[in-house]
Amino acid sequence: MLTNRSRTAVLVFLLPPLGLYLVAVVGPILHSLVLSFFEWDGLSAMTFVGLDNYRQMLFDDDIFWKATGHGLVYLAVSLFFQLVVALLLANLLTYVRRGRELVKTAYLLPAIVSTVAIALMFRRIYSLEPLGLVNAALGAVGLDGLQRPWLSDLDTVLVAVSAPEGWRFAGLYMLILYAALIAVPKELEEAARLDGASEWRIFTQIRFPYIRPVFLTTAIMAATYSLRGFDIPYLLTNGGPGHASELLTTYMYKTAFTSTNFGYASTLSVFIVLQCVVAVLLIGLVRRSGRYAS
Amino acid sequence: MSATTLSRRATEEHAVTRPPAPERVRRLRLARHGVTALVAAIVLVQVYPLVWVLLTSLRPAGEFAAGNPFAFPSELTLENYRRAWELAPLPRYVFNSLVVTVVSNALIVVLGMMAAYALTVLEFRGSKVVHGLFLIGIIVPVHVALVPLFLNYSQVNLLDTYQSMIIPLAGFSLPMSVYLFSSFFQYIPRETYEAAALDGAGPYRIFAQITAPLSANTVVTVVFVNSIFIWNDFVFANTFVLSEDLKTIPLGLQNYMGAMGSMDWTATFAAVCVTVTPLLLVFLVLNKAIIYGLESGATKG
Repeated sequence: MLTNRSRTAVLVFLLPPLGLYLVAVVGPILHSLVLSFFEWDGLSAMTFVGLDNYRQMLFDDDIFWKATGHGLVYLAVSLFFQLVVALLLANLLTYVRRGRELVKTAYLLPAIVSTVAIALMFRRIYSLEPLGLVNAALGAVGLDGLQRPWLSDLDTVLVAVSAPEGWRFAGLYMLILYAALIAVPKELEEAARLDGASEWRIFTQIRFPYIRPVFLTTAIMAATYSLRGFDIPYLLTNGGPGHASELLTTYMYKTAFTSTNFGYASTLSVFIVLQCVVAVLLIGLVRRSGRYAS
Repeated sequence: MSATTLSRRATEEHAVTRPPAPERVRRLRLARHGVTALVAAIVLVQVYPLVWVLLTSLRPAGEFAAGNPFAFPSELTLENYRRAWELAPLPRYVFNSLVVTVVSNALIVVLGMMAAYALTVLEFRGSKVVHGLFLIGIIVPVHVALVPLFLNYSQVNLLDTYQSMIIPLAGFSLPMSVYLFSSFFQYIPRETYEAAALDGAGPYRIFAQITAPLSANTVVTVVFVNSIFIWNDFVFANTFVLSEDLKTIPLGLQNYMGAMGSMDWTATFAAVCVTVTPLLLVFLVLNKAIIYGLESGATKG
């Protein structure tokens, strides 16, 4: 605490940022909460409906549950790229002698490309007619049978819109996990290695336990970002065909700005926020339980 | 098993029993080549879509429609870039994105630094609570703000302005900025401030002459992380902006997407390449600082 600070100084420094934060973030959250108890199309008078929107969402809305389930698939696919593949690559990278910087830079590149550009790319990557990258690659290795229009096939569309999200930020999480892995004390690894431990055992018994806290922080980041995924599914399929790739975010957006049902859309966005909070709490719980166990 | 006993036993044993046999060395070398090949393969799959976009943008349009997507272009042409330039006002989009990105970043850096200074250097009763309030913002999905902001903007005539994008973009980036600055400020030794205070420097002078200048590296990290998010923002721009004159790059690129049947793919990919370039240049120039910032920022937390 600075000795000659004054109340004015604190206010001068604190009020401008706090003001922006309240206007742009906190205010809208509370506003959504209020709107979620109303029915309103933006033009006629607002009608207070109590918990009706919530009742409708939980008990009468098939699309809501469908979208929630899709969200879990979306989450699983993107975490596969952002945590599993990223961890594998980060671990392999520690064994590579030259070109590490190049690998890091190249792997991070997709992160700077806008989602609109990514959606444009993937529309063409997935297409069958004309033959896109995925189908051409399948053809080249003799798997012609698997070729299909990935974005209009009901069985594949959800995974197809999820993969670009995972691909996009995999580099960021790889970088963080790599930084954690090279911070593992070398003496521990060397000792185990001389003792004849396989590299797999070194990974599971020494490296992973050591980076576990960082891994869980990374998991929180990746999970909250994936749960708010919107741009790519919205741009690629707009939730379709039917509602086969609908997520809560795309459903909320359409409810608000296509059906102009602002009350119900706010109920959905309150749920989206709750979902993120629950995800963070769950991972936090895993983190704490691990700490006591060891 | 405890690591220290493992280590002691291992070194003793090793000293007597295991000279590196030539066969073992060969196997190790083989394994290393395998790992390198695997890493190269993963990176190739990750980067190939981007390489493909670049190659496509340089490929004659006719060849793209008919040809094998993996083949190298038969000739390189800039014709697609010319058409991309004609199809939409690209410079206008780039300009709009620059305005939004620069103003938002200025706000995020200055306000983030001020908040972190008030919360971690000046401190006051309840500063922990306010800090927590800011941190919650890191996990809040931006979508929750769309309906309320849309309604508020239409009341105060802010729809379809630069501000309508800048306010939420800066607001939602602020928590991360406050977090990064306050973790950095904790590393500035207290004595530095005490010495300055003894010399009669007030909180404003200390901020301007000590805290701010020391934060250069953190500023780079904050600006880069947020620029990715802001430069590429689609959802706020799509919701709040209608007029062609204010469209940022992501909205502008959508114009290419419009007519599905007759889409000019090579020109579209040329436009994608143009719009990625500014961020790419910044990224390549500041590569070291950015990667260092991301690594240290994340592992400290």
